[in-house]
Amino acid sequence: MTAGRYANKRKMSRLERKNTLIAYSFLAPNFLGFLIFTLVPVVFSVVLSLLDWGGGQNAEWVGLGNFSFIFDEFSFQDSNLGIALKNTVFYTAMTVPLTIVCALGLAMILNRGVKGANIFRAALFFPYVASLVAICVCWNFLLMKDGIVNQILGAFGIVMDKSWTSSRDLAIWAIIIVSTWKNAGYYMVMYLAGLQGVPAELYEAATMDGANAWQKFRKVTLPMLTPTTFFCSIMMVISCFKIYDVVAIMTQGGPGRSTKMLVTYIFELSFGGEGIATSAQYGVASAVAMVLLVIVLLVTFIQFRGEKKWVNYM
Amino acid sequence: MKKIVSLVLALMMLATMGAAMGEGKTTLTVACWDLATTPYYAAIENGYEAANSNVDIVWVDLASQDYNIKASTMLSGKDTTDLYCVKELSDMQNWANEGHIIALDDYVAQKAYDLSKYAGMDACYVSVADGKQYALPFRADFWVLFYNKTLFDAAGIDYPTNDMTWDEYADLAVELKGDGVYGTHYHTWLSAAVNWAVCDGVNTLADGDYDDLAYFYELLQGLEDAGACMTYDELKASGLHYSGAFAQGNIAMLPMGYWYASTMCGYIKDGTASFDWGMTAVPHLDGVAAGSSFGSPTGIAVSAYSANQEAACDFAAWMCSEDGAKAIAATGTRPAYVSEEVAAVMASAEFMPTDETSLAALLPTAIALEWPIGEGVNEIKTAVNEEHTLIMTREISIEEGIANMEERAADYVK
Repeated sequence: MTAGRYANKRKMSRLERKNTLIAYSFLAPNFLGFLIFTLVPVVFSVVLSLLDWGGGQNAEWVGLGNFSFIFDEFSFQDSNLGIALKNTVFYTAMTVPLTIVCALGLAMILNRGVKGANIFRAALFFPYVASLVAICVCWNFLLMKDGIVNQILGAFGIVMDKSWTSSRDLAIWAIIIVSTWKNAGYYMVMYLAGLQGVPAELYEAATMDGANAWQKFRKVTLPMLTPTTFFCSIMMVISCFKIYDVVAIMTQGGPGRSTKMLVTYIFELSFGGEGIATSAQYGVASAVAMVLLVIVLLVTFIQFRGEKKWVNYM
Repeated sequence: MKKIVSLVLALMMLATMGAAMGEGKTTLTVACWDLATTPYYAAIENGYEAANSNVDIVWVDLASQDYNIKASTMLSGKDTTDLYCVKELSDMQNWANEGHIIALDDYVAQKAYDLSKYAGMDACYVSVADGKQYALPFRADFWVLFYNKTLFDAAGIDYPTNDMTWDEYADLAVELKGDGVYGTHYHTWLSAAVNWAVCDGVNTLADGDYDDLAYFYELLQGLEDAGACMTYDELKASGLHYSGAFAQGNIAMLPMGYWYASTMCGYIKDGTASFDWGMTAVPHLDGVAAGSSFGSPTGIAVSAYSANQEAACDFAAWMCSEDGAKAIAATGTRPAYVSEEVAAVMASAEFMPTDETSLAALLPTAIALEWPIGEGVNEIKTAVNEEHTLIMTREISIEEGIANMEERAADYVK
């Protein structure tokens, strides 16, 4: 103990000081970037949520006034925050499981060693790297009133009389489908890596015990993939709560408020929306951002608490 | 070694200072949008620089759809750009409240500047908070009805006139409908669909009473059902823009802002569109004077963070003067400053229609403000726009939508 304290107090030699400085200088670009572009804005936004600020010289301290404004007459049917919250939670609750199922399914098929697996892998990964605007515009066409999707549904006797994005009930599903389609390829790659890490002995042992394919999947594959699933679900929940881009391109939050999400609402409060001038209510917008932050923190915390119960690290 | 370096640096500084002083030119930077596709910026720049050889105008081009956001952010960050074009009236109010732009009253008084030539549009730039003039209008667009003469000729139907009611217009649209031809076209904006209700000069969209919109929604949905125009659903999903739609040549009529005239001139010039076209006043309701329209001005404001406020004020004043107006009018755009001379220049712009009806349409009898200014208007605008999308996608009935608008606006109506 005393030796350690002595070591700490000992003056650094010239060489040591030089080395330390060099080390810091290597860290500096990344750390400075983080400081200026991430940490400062985050702290600023926390402070902003307690101010009435329109972007100019006058900022007024309003305490929790912004929060009482957004929670005023809170309801999931009528208040903007309530609707945005409801839509975001619904979107997340649907997109995350759907993406996981698709990603896992695709990974298992490709892991079987299908002919041309490389081509399929590249094709399935493509949506993730393709331009989002192009993807969304294409999907808008596919989901049009007389688009391919509605025509296929029509062949099965399901008659659709309007575009998906023009319907209050279906617009959010259009967003969910596009998000799932876009992200499934990315998470599929994660699952592929996970699948390749499952030891073959386990399957051998299961076969010896007379397990059928379903039992092997349930008792070997799924438990062995829980770390991957855990990682994917955390990343996906966080990104789903922050959904903005797909909505902005495909529906602009409409029709009405049926696809208004938390981030769309934040954007609208600070920068305005379609046909709406800048509202510049940065304080109120930051308050909504704080609500979003708390929700994401809470959900992630719960996920980590549950980790011990269902995640197996072998 | 150090001495030499500092000496060289000092010399370089002196040299640059000398170069700057030698030129003796003031550079004014002006934030604007759509620089490449809007011909009047160059016209203004050339006109002003010809009259003031010691000033250099540099435009700062911002993306049109992000202009309000970008300009507001630049002002919040105390950017040194000298002047800002004002796209939205409510932004100007925000900027004035935040101290981003300077009041021009002293300048106007000192130069005995005449504000009476703007047909009231200057009043839009008076701050609600302190009653001072924070910007001057250089453009004042109002809505007209564009029509495709070639399609009218082919159908053997008389051209529309400057005195036409909305019912007559709707009948005409249905009559013109043909194989692959649409009688009319509505862009997805709220303004294109129902803003007409404010043309009487009495109603506004922020008064909390939206019964007057029902007639226009019914008319539009009737036209959609009759196949006389493309549906809102179709336009929204395909993202079809009105400018390209009309230029294709299969749409007979298009109610749109006057700014589209200069776009059409450009299309005729570069061959994108190849048909005869004309303009009339927008249709009117029974009991509202023919030639009544609505519109919004576009203005110019001087930044509080400009280092050359005096020169910036001079430029803003010139841009909005009769000389500036003539430069703008020559490109087919309607300036805010109106005089007979300016109107003559407007009519003589290259590729503009020259028939009497079109010329008469250049002089509306009354222009109501598209949206009034004031506190709570932004919130009302959001609510009304959201309900508009529900009505137009037919998710709710017109009555239901109007009831929702009234209920949601009631919280903000002052």
